[in-house]
Amino acid sequence: MTDTPRKTARSSAAAKKPATRKVATGKATARTAADRKTVSARRDAPAAIVTHKPAAVLIVGAGFAGLGMAIRLQQAGVTDIIILERGTDVGGTWRDNQYPGAACDIPSNLYSYSFAQNPNWSRSFSGSREILGYIHHLVKEFGLERYIRFGKNVQELKFDEKKGLWSATTAEGEVFSGRAAVMAQGPLSNASFPDMPGINEYKGHKIHSARWDHSYDFRGKKVAVIGTGASAIQIIPELVKEVEHLTVFQRTPGWVMPRPDFETPEWNKEIFRKLPFTQSALRQALYLAHESMALAVIWSSPLTRVAERVGRWHLHNQVKDRWMRRQLTPNYRIGCKRVLISNDYYPALQKPNCKLITWPIYTLCENGIRTVEGIEHQFDCIVFATGFEVSKAGTPFPVTGVGGRQLNDEWSRGAQAYKSINVAGYPNLFMTFGPNSGPGHNSALVYMESQLDYAVRGIQKILGENLKMLDVKPHVQKQYNEGIQKRLAKTNWNSGCMSWYLTEDGFNATMYPGFATQYANQMKEFREKDYLVVPG
Amino acid sequence: MAMIDLDKMLEKVKATQWALADIDWDAPGAELVTKEQWPQLKDFMVDLMWIEHVGARGFAAMAKKAPTETLRQLYSYFHAEEQRHANAEMALMKRWGMLEGDELPEPNINIRLVIEWLDRYADGMPYYVLGTVIPMLEVALDGALCTFLLESVNDPVCHQAFEKINDDESRHLGVGFTVMEMQGHNKTSIQMVKMMAPMLDPRLLLGIASYLPLLNKMRDNVVKMGLPEEKLYAAMNKFKRIGGRTAEGRRNPWYQFIQHHGSIMVKRSNRFYHIPVDAAVKVTGLIPRRMLPAVPSWVKELTWQPTA
Ligand SMILES: Cc1cc2nc3c(=O)[nH]c(=O)nc-3n(C[C@H](O)[C@H](O)[C@H](O)COP(=O)(O)OP(=O)(O)OC[C@H]3O[C@@H](n4cnc5c(N)ncnc54)[C@H](O)[C@@H]3O)c2cc1C
Ligand SMILES: [Fe+2]
Ligand SMILES: [Fe+2]
Repeated sequence: MTDTPRKTARSSAAAKKPATRKVATGKATARTAADRKTVSARRDAPAAIVTHKPAAVLIVGAGFAGLGMAIRLQQAGVTDIIILERGTDVGGTWRDNQYPGAACDIPSNLYSYSFAQNPNWSRSFSGSREILGYIHHLVKEFGLERYIRFGKNVQELKFDEKKGLWSATTAEGEVFSGRAAVMAQGPLSNASFPDMPGINEYKGHKIHSARWDHSYDFRGKKVAVIGTGASAIQIIPELVKEVEHLTVFQRTPGWVMPRPDFETPEWNKEIFRKLPFTQSALRQALYLAHESMALAVIWSSPLTRVAERVGRWHLHNQVKDRWMRRQLTPNYRIGCKRVLISNDYYPALQKPNCKLITWPIYTLCENGIRTVEGIEHQFDCIVFATGFEVSKAGTPFPVTGVGGRQLNDEWSRGAQAYKSINVAGYPNLFMTFGPNSGPGHNSALVYMESQLDYAVRGIQKILGENLKMLDVKPHVQKQYNEGIQKRLAKTNWNSGCMSWYLTEDGFNATMYPGFATQYANQMKEFREKDYLVVPG
Repeated sequence: MAMIDLDKMLEKVKATQWALADIDWDAPGAELVTKEQWPQLKDFMVDLMWIEHVGARGFAAMAKKAPTETLRQLYSYFHAEEQRHANAEMALMKRWGMLEGDELPEPNINIRLVIEWLDRYADGMPYYVLGTVIPMLEVALDGALCTFLLESVNDPVCHQAFEKINDDESRHLGVGFTVMEMQGHNKTSIQMVKMMAPMLDPRLLLGIASYLPLLNKMRDNVVKMGLPEEKLYAAMNKFKRIGGRTAEGRRNPWYQFIQHHGSIMVKRSNRFYHIPVDAAVKVTGLIPRRMLPAVPSWVKELTWQPTA
């Protein structure tokens, strides 16, 4: 239960990459990871509780966000970092989503960090394993391993206003603390079987797309896939090659666009390696191409019509049967839900051993799925590509702020933050992928980078000026959100379709209503006067 | 029947689902269908299941047009429920030895024409046209045909199936009439006249042209089976009574049009209407099958097998 100091804490990578700037980060950062000793269990506390010495920064989650945060902090000279990760490996999304066909749907050159470009991407849209490999490479390259504590499932975050400390209690009963805390637990990291009627009666094999069962042999099996979202359209073309018969249950069809996927030839990688600016240029071009997509996807504009025409053309081109085309035609504006990208999804649905079912499911039963047309569809295995538990109106675990206030309560009608990253009443707390930071059209990592740099500025201020609290002013946050909601009202997401972007009452606490560039610009500016500052 | 709360109705629909597997299709009682009944019952069941199936396609078109998410979901369920009725009726036919192998019963030419029309044009029809035609068909089915079937067939499995089917139907009617009233609500006379504008749409006229002979043919078939014509009058009166129970309902011009037509259709003595339409039945009967296009793929989804 103790935190063993790593023998090789100063790994070669860490030595190779010294902090780029040395800032006065206060006492806390003076210690290195190596000499940070665990304070053993306090005698007066219950046996299970182990309290660790405070760090400068406490990060929850070792996915792209948590690791990126550590890299940027380290580059700014902050190295007293603890990353709490409930899993046994880094990578989050890309560690968990290992289903057949898993890949990003934003080109890899854009779906990677600009401060750690990878010339070796094998194709335009890399697979899950390759992305996970890139994340492992980041950990090694920047020597992040020393910060990470695996198997620490955070159950609560609590602010002690007297000490100006955030503490995280884990399921195992340990308490970690830090002067600043970063919630990087991922927007799509909690996956479980959906709450469908009869789900516990089903006796066959169940697999969730985000917890793939690699030991299951699909050959000769009758298999169902529930869901036709981003994961499903990647799984279906792969599964159909393996199984005896595949049945796809669709509730709402998505807009599917062609996917320009190419292998990257070796000479191209060589150019990227030798002339990194060429890769940066490509990245910039991809960035702009995706930015222009915003015009189609976020707002209703002539480009929206064009995009819809491309979607319809793709469908018409790939699906011959008129009724099937009707079943696959969305009845909402493009962009209202996540736009899907695939060349092999429609063809897969038309394979002789595949069947698309659009009858509503009313229950699962011992042998399969019963749909409203009265038929029981029987399966050896059901794959749930039903998405994630997204906390649109709450936090994944209790977060307690100043005076015992609960973020869950405050967010019960929809989450709100200032610039998606700070919440008034919760000083020194930063969020990646916070409220209204969701990109509809561009790489999540583009958004993430500007959040990370914003957080670094806040954290540097807290540590450098030895602040007890850096707390966004409530009226500033309120004003910001009024602006956001006004702009959201004009977007496609709020145009009437139901999606995971919206709460039950149709409140959009998920998406950012604008270009990535606009978002980046707002994050570039750290206005001190927006914050209440309490010195330590 | 007052206007119903559609959200509550959706909850109820979701909570009261059933499957073919809930019924034991091999239970004793099949022999209660008499030899004399058998041939006409077969014709009747074929028509009935095809009508259900055609109704299903109508609801599919409504789902695309629904003005609210609740109605969209209701129609998606009703689409599937009508399909369930067709499936269950096929399962009964299977039980009674009326299906040859695994084949779908052959739809008559009028059904084929209606299927063709639905496949091409139903999605383009205005919501209020579909929203009035479908309740009329449902009243005819529910109020006359199915009641009659239960009166003349003693097989308990048939009764068990139709108890479930009729429960579904009563909800379809509840929603159907509520929507008809909603459409008559708060409308100026000009809007009302505008609602009738699709009458001039050749696609709709074509639909009517394929639909009228079907109704006449079905009517003849049930009368041949011994259904007293009064039962059909009674059913049409029910449509007229319930649809017109409120001023809003009566204001809906499509209600007026369709209830009027319904009454004419069941009254065989109205020669002005029936001579040309019956002639159309004869003429359509002469269309060679191979001239018809292939049936759309949604038709092939029908099945009598409770599990797949
Ligand atoms: C299948 C799939 C495909 C995607 N494709 C794209 C794409 O193409 N382009 C794009 O921009 N975005 C994509 N995304 C979104 C993707 O989630 C983000 O791009 C990004 O990976 C999120 O990184 P993260 O670090 O914020 O979260 P995650 O990667 O989810 O990492 C969060 C980490 O926190 C840990 N954690 C969570 N809760 C706790 C806790 N209580 N205590 C301790 N640790 C905890 C988790 O175990 C996890 O390791 C995709 C998502 C999925 C699911
Ligand atoms: Fe029916
Ligand atoms: Fe019905």
